[in-house]
Amino acid sequence: MGLIFDLLQQTAVIIVIAYMFSKSPAMGYLSGEKLQPRQLVVLYVIFSLFSILGTYTGLPIKGAIANTRAIGAVLAGLIGGPVLGLSVGITAGLHRFTLGGFTAFSCGISTTVEGLVGGIVFLILMRRKKPEQLYLPAVAFGATFVAEVLQMSIILLLARPFSDAVALVKVIALPMICANSIGAALFISMVRDQKRMRDKVGARFSAKAFTVADRTLGILSRGFSPETAREMAEIIRLETGVGAVAITDREKILAFSGIGSDHHITGNPVVSRWSKQALAENKVVFADGYVDHFQCPLSSCCPLRSALVVPLRLDQDVVGTISLYEPKTKHFLNINRSFGEGLAALYSHQLLRSRYEEQKSLLIQSELKLLQAQVNPHFLFNSLNTIMAIIRKDSDRARQLLMQLSNFFRTNLKPQSNIVTLEEELAHISAYLEIEKARFGERLTVTQEMDPALLTLRIPVFTLQPLIENAIKHGIANLLDHGQIWVRVCCQDELVVIEVEDNAGSYCISSDERGLGMRLVDQRIKNMYGNEFGLTVDCEPQKKTLVRVELPVTRGLSDDSCVNY
Amino acid sequence: MIRALIIDDELHAREELEHLLNETRAFDLIGICANAIDALRVIRVEKPELLFLDIEMPALNGFELLAMIEDELMPHVVFVTAYDEHALKAFEEKTLDYLLKPVSLERLQKTVHKVRETIRRGDPPQYLVEVLRHIPCQFANRVKLVPVDEVEFVYSDITGIHVVTAEGQFFTELTLKILEKRTPLLRCQRQYLVNHDRIDEIKLLDNGLAEIKTRQGKILPVSRRYLRQLKVQLEI
Repeated sequence: MGLIFDLLQQTAVIIVIAYMFSKSPAMGYLSGEKLQPRQLVVLYVIFSLFSILGTYTGLPIKGAIANTRAIGAVLAGLIGGPVLGLSVGITAGLHRFTLGGFTAFSCGISTTVEGLVGGIVFLILMRRKKPEQLYLPAVAFGATFVAEVLQMSIILLLARPFSDAVALVKVIALPMICANSIGAALFISMVRDQKRMRDKVGARFSAKAFTVADRTLGILSRGFSPETAREMAEIIRLETGVGAVAITDREKILAFSGIGSDHHITGNPVVSRWSKQALAENKVVFADGYVDHFQCPLSSCCPLRSALVVPLRLDQDVVGTISLYEPKTKHFLNINRSFGEGLAALYSHQLLRSRYEEQKSLLIQSELKLLQAQVNPHFLFNSLNTIMAIIRKDSDRARQLLMQLSNFFRTNLKPQSNIVTLEEELAHISAYLEIEKARFGERLTVTQEMDPALLTLRIPVFTLQPLIENAIKHGIANLLDHGQIWVRVCCQDELVVIEVEDNAGSYCISSDERGLGMRLVDQRIKNMYGNEFGLTVDCEPQKKTLVRVELPVTRGLSDDSCVNY
Repeated sequence: MIRALIIDDELHAREELEHLLNETRAFDLIGICANAIDALRVIRVEKPELLFLDIEMPALNGFELLAMIEDELMPHVVFVTAYDEHALKAFEEKTLDYLLKPVSLERLQKTVHKVRETIRRGDPPQYLVEVLRHIPCQFANRVKLVPVDEVEFVYSDITGIHVVTAEGQFFTELTLKILEKRTPLLRCQRQYLVNHDRIDEIKLLDNGLAEIKTRQGKILPVSRRYLRQLKVQLEI
């Protein structure tokens, strides 16, 4: 019984070691990522020393040593897998073997087996995809328990004389099994607590990453330029707490903020191999400061030691990089590879989006230009010809028509804005229609049907005019007898419906064959409001062509809601 | 005095041109037409020497009107248009001249000079005319443009020329001669033209005659005179 207490005293030592371990950089290895060879070596040394220490702190009993050597070996297997477990087991086992005694050989073997037991538990949990259970104290307890039972069996099997072995096992079995299992559980529990604390810090860091994203995306949506780069670099540095942040395009540094700004100068070319690699290979490059040291190519006394270079992609092309740097003095980095990849994806989406927005607005502008250019030169010269004829008979009427013509061209050559009220659009087409009526005389009648309350509705400029022009050019102008055009505007729920109907029915063609004017009206509405809106044509040959435009309701500020009508 | 005809669909344009023509005192205006169909009738009756022809007109444009005029009736033509996108084409067709609206009197005087010269030389007007893609037919009180490839066959009887399509049968003022010349329709008998895409079978009869069965199942006679020609054209 006294032996249990003695061994439990030793667990105090284990807890001290566990505490020291959890404070060491090696703790950072237990992030759940696959261990690097260098990290495995560090862990091997730590756990081998820990295991050997267990032997030295053991109590000599009947030519053997009651000890806590097993904990180091089992934990090495649990944390680092069978290879690490086996290596620590062999090392500590060999060490025990050199100390001699009648159990020297059996203990050497059993320690190796114990490392392997930890490794096997590791493999089982990995295969079951439950790696988080590796840090359960119960698992450590169980694994060590099994390992120690195995050790006792091996002693009984291999140690000679057998009678001594039996006598020894009788004394040490219970205390050692208990003490080692409890010790391992305590160690793991301590490590787990430390790990949880770190994860919490990590979560806080993720929140920080989101803040970075949130604050910089708005800036990036204004485009990728030296101005926006400078703002972004500042925000990223302050929010992540890294030593320095650099933003480059493909050739030069656009902005640099933080440590080393004395020699990392805005406007200088991109020189570091990490940045060049990120630009060339379109991937996140990470010099973590442990395995790969960032070496400033400009100054040998540059304090920056680790670097995370994130490529900025636009449609698969790399347009620049964002680099986050940490100085030599930092052991725990504020950056890691996955953070970089997240930023890269986020910024790429934003860049793509801002380019899309830019092209969309360009498209809308050029469509407007096209619609303006759509005005048929025939219309102008025919109008002038008509007016010249009218001057001979009725100069007042001619003056009036010239006024209409000048109004029409004034609006057409320079629209006031992209969006106009229905009233303004109607004024524009009425100028056009006055002239056309003069040209066609008796052949053309135009009827407008709409609630005057709808005049404040806002619609894209030049929505109606191409439709009316179409109805005249392809409809009425082809009719030998009387031509009639109806213009109707109504509001259905949240929808503005504009209809232009003629009685010619000579525009029965598929949407691909439609004139440029009609297609532009349709495309522009779809670009501005979405694909559910736009233009449809309903045609009954020789009877009617009905062009229908659907738009969402938008009104001026002081207006009533549409649903009242 | 040059016997001239104005063809323009716009009232004010007609009046303006009429006024200008009168000012030159060079023309005897035999008519003013508002569309190509009316113009065709007037041309056949009045046989003008010169047309002032608007290009953009409802139903049938100026080029299409020219394609419907028989060679022997073809007058000289001056195109009148508001915009010169057709100018090059008009020249290619060796149009006598063309005027841009609004027309100035000075420019019109040059045309008068040119027309007089041409008439004095006695050059017969020859214009490279287009293939007709539509046949203007009367339908209720409208003009129906029947696309040539929809035509099954065309025949003449004492009431006139009839264009037969799957939809029905329409009366046209164009002659079989013009239709044979200006469309891909083939003559199979003195009174019949057939669309070769609509021929279902040709049945040869004993006496050197033949019958054509159309897709719609109509039987058309083929005379000895046109059978040989038809065989060559259909490569049989």
